[in-house]
Amino acid sequence: MVARLASQQRPCKRRRAEEDATPAERRPGPGPEEPRAPVKRRSPPRERLSSPLRGRALAPLERQAFREYGPSWYRFRKALEERFQPRDPLALQPQVTAEARCKLISWLIPVHKHFGFSFESLCLAVNTLDRFLTTTPVAADCFQLLGVTSLLISCKQVEVHPPKVKQLLALCCNTFSHQQLCNLECIILSKLHFNLSAPTISFFLDYFTHMRIESCESDAWEASCAKTLAKGVAELSLADYAFNKYMPSLLAICCLGLADQMLQHQKPLDLKLSDYPEGVMQDCLDKLHLLVSLNEDSLPLVLPPEISDQCLHLENSPNKQKKNT
Amino acid sequence: MKKFKRRLSLTLRGSQTIDESLSELAEQMTIEENSSKDNEPIVKNGRPPTSHSMHSFLHQYTGSFKKPPLRRPHSVIGGSLGSFMAMPRNGSRLDIVHENLKMGSDGESDQASGTSSDEVQSPTGVCLRNRIHRRISMEDLNKRLSLPADIRIPDGYLEKLQINSPPFDQPMSRRSRRASLSEIGFGKMETYIKLEKLGEGTYATVYKGRSKLTENLVALKEIRLEHEEGAPCTAIREVSLLKDLKHANIVTLHDIVHTDKSLTLVFEYLDKDLKQYMDDCGNIMSMHNVKLFLYQILRGLAYCHRRKVLHRDLKPQNLLINERGELKLADFGLARAKSVPTKTYSNEVVTLWYRPPDVLLGSSEYSTQIDMWGVGCIFFEMASGRPLFPGSTVEDELHLIFRLLGTPSQETWPGITSSDEFRNYNFPKYKPQPLINHAPRLDTEGIELIVRFLQYESKKRVSAEEAMKHAYFRSLGTRVHSIPESVSIFTLKEIQLQKDPGFRNSTYPETGHGKNRRQSMLF
Repeated sequence: MVARLASQQRPCKRRRAEEDATPAERRPGPGPEEPRAPVKRRSPPRERLSSPLRGRALAPLERQAFREYGPSWYRFRKALEERFQPRDPLALQPQVTAEARCKLISWLIPVHKHFGFSFESLCLAVNTLDRFLTTTPVAADCFQLLGVTSLLISCKQVEVHPPKVKQLLALCCNTFSHQQLCNLECIILSKLHFNLSAPTISFFLDYFTHMRIESCESDAWEASCAKTLAKGVAELSLADYAFNKYMPSLLAICCLGLADQMLQHQKPLDLKLSDYPEGVMQDCLDKLHLLVSLNEDSLPLVLPPEISDQCLHLENSPNKQKKNT
Repeated sequence: MKKFKRRLSLTLRGSQTIDESLSELAEQMTIEENSSKDNEPIVKNGRPPTSHSMHSFLHQYTGSFKKPPLRRPHSVIGGSLGSFMAMPRNGSRLDIVHENLKMGSDGESDQASGTSSDEVQSPTGVCLRNRIHRRISMEDLNKRLSLPADIRIPDGYLEKLQINSPPFDQPMSRRSRRASLSEIGFGKMETYIKLEKLGEGTYATVYKGRSKLTENLVALKEIRLEHEEGAPCTAIREVSLLKDLKHANIVTLHDIVHTDKSLTLVFEYLDKDLKQYMDDCGNIMSMHNVKLFLYQILRGLAYCHRRKVLHRDLKPQNLLINERGELKLADFGLARAKSVPTKTYSNEVVTLWYRPPDVLLGSSEYSTQIDMWGVGCIFFEMASGRPLFPGSTVEDELHLIFRLLGTPSQETWPGITSSDEFRNYNFPKYKPQPLINHAPRLDTEGIELIVRFLQYESKKRVSAEEAMKHAYFRSLGTRVHSIPESVSIFTLKEIQLQKDPGFRNSTYPETGHGKNRRQSMLF
């Protein structure tokens, strides 16, 4: 497996360096046929803020509620995971490929940040998308419409101000019509029978971080750094079809475990907090490790500077040597 | 390709709708296969013919743009790619790769996908489709989604879809089960008879109805879907949450009827809401019934909170009560939203009477405690016969709260003095008044409990779970704590509704209240 991985790394690697050119270096404006989306910004993308507030892993009130209800929230979400887990959604898709899915989600990530939406919305959107794919064959050129429609539905569930249909259409360069988006929304809701409240990685990241902060030996600063980094890793994993088989709770605990490793934390999260056997977690951890080393250039960009500076420890990772093959 | 088609037809057989769509899909794919042979898509895109290797595309476009256009802003881990390739696609594989390459080769899309970088301040529109110069027609889209070609989905299509199209890899048993459910009438509007309109709003109309299946009364909440922004958020939230909430003190969602223009939620019918109940007994309720109702509110709420579902809009109009005295939480439209708006979609003002002071002062950080303040207000209202803080504006509401409970200070509400909103109002410094003066019918335990709900600091408010164990409920006995979630507390013989002292047999026809009573269900 390692050999195959190594051989496939080259074309798979995110070419972040090129994308991250400053606006001046970028191609001047888009051509006349492709109007640039006139998108109003609702709020600054939170991810780039380097304010110390980011260090707070959980709001105090949320902590209070967690103290009272956390274990039962966890139990219920965990019990629901199986029901909401899309099993190999691309298996029967005639046109949509893992690569197309990855491309779409890699685009949805900055889109959701641009609007200032929560990670929860993104997770729900990806889940809705995947579960819809298990029910209906979708043509490749409708796939983007499915992506923004899923995002719309997830934002309507959890955001205060869901995006306007117009904004979403503009983001797709007005390839699709208003009617098409609304119709697709109806079809998704009906095909999924309104089962939309999936448990998300976002919830489990909160939960495990809370458990960690509550346990007396842990360090709140470490906990919040680990959570921020873990969220970045989890975002990468959403876009990667290889991680579709892992339950959100498993991904969450492993992302946090990996974040602790990368940040060389003194008091890492006790992975036994989850009920997963060690072997299962190790498998997921290894995959995540590889994912992170493949995306070494791009990962720091989704992180606040104080975290990305610390992440340089990744250099010591055992997968490092493979990267250069 | 043929193999692929055969496989599809195998998996999709058994449903008329899908069969039709399959042939369309297959047709389309054949066209693409052919066209790929004569390089047609490239001609269509107005580009010189090139070979289909990624490398050549990359090469070609590096000439015209500074950066290589072919970006794959993603990594596919080996395992997945491997398993993906190992999928039994065989003959069709080439087509799919081709499709994929076209996507990759699209100059515009590549440029735009540069936005996947987080450095970009505002993501530009990205067209992930290959034929970008042409708007997809509805017909086209429907084909691609395997839908009929009509621009409008024909009447009843969605119902048919629900009945006829099981997930295509589902075993037969599941499929037939769903079919049989629909045969007996679930998911069909014909199953329900509309009786009378209970109320109307911009987004929904509520009717009293009867189910032909069970002969039971139902409440039909008809939500119009044709809006600028598609399906209303409240409908999406309410349905997705209620589907998972099954509890004796939460209104039951029996069925969902989805047509192209509207969505009808079929709820169990309850005679009145708490507001009407209080009106009907002249605002003098039996104190025993107050206890039973409060207990049921807490029981339903604790169930929600254990699932991380917040109600956020508790008020007497949202608490439905039947003849037996069973109380159920309704209207979860605001649940799970991150903030409580001051206006509904229909621009009606949301009542502020049950809203906690921290939220009135603009706090957006809250959790389960947000609901507990409202419980306190409702408790008081039941016991005293009048609303506790009937404010008309945010300022008025805060003023009423502070006049009774005392203007908060750094001691009574740590951190409050640093709140700009609070300082700007510049409220007079009121001293707290004893609550017993305002609700003389409440016993000491009741007063003690109400104070636990009406805490300024939300983290100090008692949780629903904890409140149920309060001494105030001791008279209900111990068995009430151990009955299963789905069982009503009235199944216990020691729990019985008493006659309310102020109750007069409602001589008014129901229409007297009809206009207002279901208002809460409308937005």
